[in-house]
Parts: sequence; C-alpha cells; structure tokens
Amino acid sequence: MRNAIKDTWYTLLRYLRTFVHNPFWMLILLIQPMIWLVLFTQLFQSITLGFTSGSYVQFFAPGLIVMLAVFNANALAFRMLNDINYGVLEKMIATPVNRYSLIVGGLLYIAVTWVLQVIIVLIVSFLMGASVATGVAGVLLTFVIVSMLGIGLTGLVAALAVTMKRPEPVVLIANLITLPLMFLSSILIPAYLTPSWIQTAMKFNPVNYAILAVRPMFLTGFDWMAIAQAVIVCGAFALVAIVVETAAFRRFGG
Amino acid sequence: MKNIVETFNLTKIYNKQVRAVDDVSVQIEEGEIFGLLGPNGAGKTTTIHMLTTLTRPTSGTARVGGYDVLKEARKVREITGYSAQEAGVDEYSSGREYLTLFGHYYHLDDQTIRRRVNELLELLELTDAADRLVATYSGGMRKRLEIGTALMHRPQLLVVDEPTLGLDIQTRVRIWDYIRTLNKDGMSILLTTHYLEETDKLCDRVAIMDHGRIVALGTPNELKGEIHGDVVMLTLPLEEPDQRAKTVEKATRILVAQTFVKEVQPTDEGLNAYVDQGSSAVPQILHLLEQGGLTIGEISLARPSLDDVFLKYTGRTIREEKGKAVGARAAWIRRPR
Repeated sequence: MRNAIKDTWYTLLRYLRTFVHNPFWMLILLIQPMIWLVLFTQLFQSITLGFTSGSYVQFFAPGLIVMLAVFNANALAFRMLNDINYGVLEKMIATPVNRYSLIVGGLLYIAVTWVLQVIIVLIVSFLMGASVATGVAGVLLTFVIVSMLGIGLTGLVAALAVTMKRPEPVVLIANLITLPLMFLSSILIPAYLTPSWIQTAMKFNPVNYAILAVRPMFLTGFDWMAIAQAVIVCGAFALVAIVVETAAFRRFGG
Repeated sequence: MKNIVETFNLTKIYNKQVRAVDDVSVQIEEGEIFGLLGPNGAGKTTTIHMLTTLTRPTSGTARVGGYDVLKEARKVREITGYSAQEAGVDEYSSGREYLTLFGHYYHLDDQTIRRRVNELLELLELTDAADRLVATYSGGMRKRLEIGTALMHRPQLLVVDEPTLGLDIQTRVRIWDYIRTLNKDGMSILLTTHYLEETDKLCDRVAIMDHGRIVALGTPNELKGEIHGDVVMLTLPLEEPDQRAKTVEKATRILVAQTFVKEVQPTDEGLNAYVDQGSSAVPQILHLLEQGGLTIGEISLARPSLDDVFLKYTGRTIREEKGKAVGARAAWIRRPR
C-alpha cells in the first residue's frame, strides 16, 4: 500500500513536471478559461432576458467549471498515446510499479490542472460581478462532484487511447462524444429553453447531473436532491471509467 | 550452473490463428549473453514480451530467476530490466528525471536512486546532457538513456530488444562495450537482433528463430561449424525476374546433381553452393554452368558465416530483412511529430 501511494505520487509528479519544463503550456491552460468566460458571456449577454437568474456570468461560471472537466478529458489520453508511441508505457509496465498508481496518478494530474483552471474561473467571474451563494462549502462540494465527472470522462478517453494506440481515432471519437455531452446539458442554456427531446437526452448525461447540482450552489443555495443524484451518477460514472480503463490497461499488457 | 531463464512450450497465438511464438522451450544460463536472431516477425519480440510479463502466453509458461512469469509476475519484474526496441524515452523530461522516475518505480530509496543515477549517467556518458530535455538528445543518447532505465535496480537479467537497431557504427560498438561490461559484473543478458555481426561479437549462445520456432541453437562457432567447407557465391546477370528464376532453377538442378556440392540455396543475387573444397569447386562449377548454357555475373568464395547458417535454416538471407526493419522504425519515430 505504501508503494502504491508512492507510485501514484511519482506518477503525478512526472506529469506535473511537464509544466515546469513548458511554462508556456501552463500559461495557455490558465488563460483559456478566462478567454471562454469573457467570450461566452459577451456572446450570450442578450439572452439573459429569458433567464430567471441575474447576469449570464452568474449563470455561465458554474457551467464553465463543468465544461472544463469535459474539455480536459482528452488531455490524459494524449499524454498516454505519446507514452505508448514512444514505448514509455511499455517500459513502465515492465517495472514492478503499481498498475492502479499509473492510472490514478494520471487522473489526479488532470484533476489538478482542472482545479487550477477553476480557481482562475472563480477569480475572474468574481471580478465580473458573480458570486457563490453557498460560499466555500459550495466550492468544495463542486470540486468533489466535478472531479468525479472529470475522472469518469478522462478515464474513458484514456481507455480508448490505450485500446486504439493511435491518436487519430481517439481524436475523432472524443470529439464525437464531448461536444454532444456539453450541448445535451444545461451548461449553456437552462433546460426549460430546450426542446423536449433534448430534455429527455439530458437525463442520460452525467454532465447534466453535475451542472444541475453545481449551478444552484452558485446561484441560490444547496439543492440536496440534485447533489445526491449528482454524487451517485458521477460517482458511478467515475467507478465505471476506472474499471474500463483498468481492463483496457490489462489488455495492453499492464 | 543455474538457469536464469527457462521456457516450457511457450506459445503465443494472436487472433486465434497467428502463431507468433510456437512451442519454444529453451534454457538460458546465469551469466550468459544469449541472442535471439531472426527476421522481422520471427517472434523474437513476442518471446521477450512474455519473459518480461508484458504479454501473456497463450499456452506454456516460463520462469525467470526461478519465478513463474504468470504466477509471480511481480517478482519477475523486480529482477528483470527491459530495454525496448522503440526509443522508449520521455521527451518531456530530462535524462536525470527519467532515470530517477524508474528508480522510484523499482522502489529504491532516495539515496540509492541519486547514487545510481549519477553512476549510470557516468557509465553511459550522459553526465553533460543529464539536465537537458530528452527532446534534444540524439538517437544514440536516447538509446543509452533507455538502457539506463533498465539498469537502475541492477537486474539479474537484462532483456534488450534490438540494442543497436538504427544506430551508427560508433554508437553500436559503444553499446556492445556496455553490454560486455555489465555481463562481466555478473548480469545475464538476453538480446534480440537482426545483426549477425552483433550476434557474432557479443553472444555466448544464439538461437535462430523463424516463424515462431527456434530452428537452431548453439554458440556462434558451433552454428558456423555445422556448415562444413566453403561457400561459393554466384551472382547472375540482371534479367527479367521470370527469366532469372528459371536460370536459378536450372543452375540449381545442375549443381545439386554433383557429388562435391552439398547444398544449394537461392539468394537475392543468384545462389550459394556449399562445397567441401572451394578452390577445386570453382572451376568445376564454372565449367558445368557454361556447358549448361548459363551466363554467370560474378563468382566468389567465402568461409561460412552466420548469414549462411541463417540461410540454411530459414531459406532467406538476413540482409534482405534489414532494410525493411530500419524503414519501419523510421516511420514509427516520425509519427508523433
């Protein structure tokens, strides 16, 4: 167990060290959410008329936090494809390193980058006049729920990468999935403004459960029913993804 | 003498029909440098993947250092160092960081890791480049670093897939030196190779693999000794492939009928005839072929080499495989850029 924790830690460190060598990547990663926040809020400013909740920033900031988890889902897959292509992953699994540590270390790396991005979103949206109704507790609960969602998505794309072993099909399939996941949710506009078939589709989308739990925490207060549903759905999703990724990893040779 | 590797009817079948490794039973002694020689697709890499626990055998099993690769995979990984055929290095880290990571993955303590990293950087002549990103390393430096990662824990068995594939001759000689040095310190070494020269210079024993099977096994000298006498190499003038095949066939028929010719093998440029006495055979062969109405391009005489051994057992020269292998590697390396 001690080895497993250490293996996870060194795996996470290895991924994070990339940013030390490439501070420019880090910069882009941190600027990106700011650009989105400004762009989306400017673009959709006028449609706030139909909303029950104040400004679009207020509405969109929690949406962007969930969206970033969706958009980060590919990042680990690409690092892993690179490792596969260069024979690095193969070398790693020929060592006694804990298999789960390799997987979990990667997932944590994505969680860390996402948390950093969320902090940027929170700071910028505060500056733009938004606030979090439930305060620090709400932010922490957001971290928990969206991390599970992010781990689920990241794990599935990583499993795809380990199975396909080539970047091209992974890009295609990941794009095919991530955009609909975002649009078939109330990230960009509230559900009641969408056609009924989309509202039905939303019921099968873990992303939507995350946003339904997170948004009230920013706008009004804790919606415990939505939070419970999100924890169950996103938690199960994360578990399934870890199982699927582990299976893919085993087939690869781990 | 204890065996560091023993395989028992080791078999790997892909997609239920491709027998990549077919019923291989072999023993490698402790302290040996053992070579697996064979063309692309012969099953060398699959064999060592099974020995390093990267691939599960379809049937049969193997023991490394006395541990079963299936039941005691963890133990096997602890005593084995694996150097991959592909570059096997992380471009996003420095050489020192990469070696350190493997030290951690082998669960060494921090002090040992620091010491070994410095020792290996010194041994592999990478000290000056240690803190540079691997992305700036040359092919030879990458391969040295890659071998270094497999040595962090001082394995009992070092498994190297194509130690010098695609490297220039100076780097190759240097890597051979490292392998010899490690072997002198008591490390057993299993390597795969396309290069006959590598086998000849480096290996205590060689197994020639073809179509997943071991077709010959012995010291390089024993193998060469199996082919008695001399080799007469004939090249035929360039002609249409059909015409050429006919010429080779006709020449083969003529030569096989002679008692002084033991064996005839077609080659890329013509054919090789294995004879007892080269000096007396050459004029006779020339005379016979002329009588048969055949024109010869060139004729030369040589002592049997491992290439001839290879040809005898596989029906192909290993030279025709080399170009392909290097090409495949180049495509592989280019892809991620």
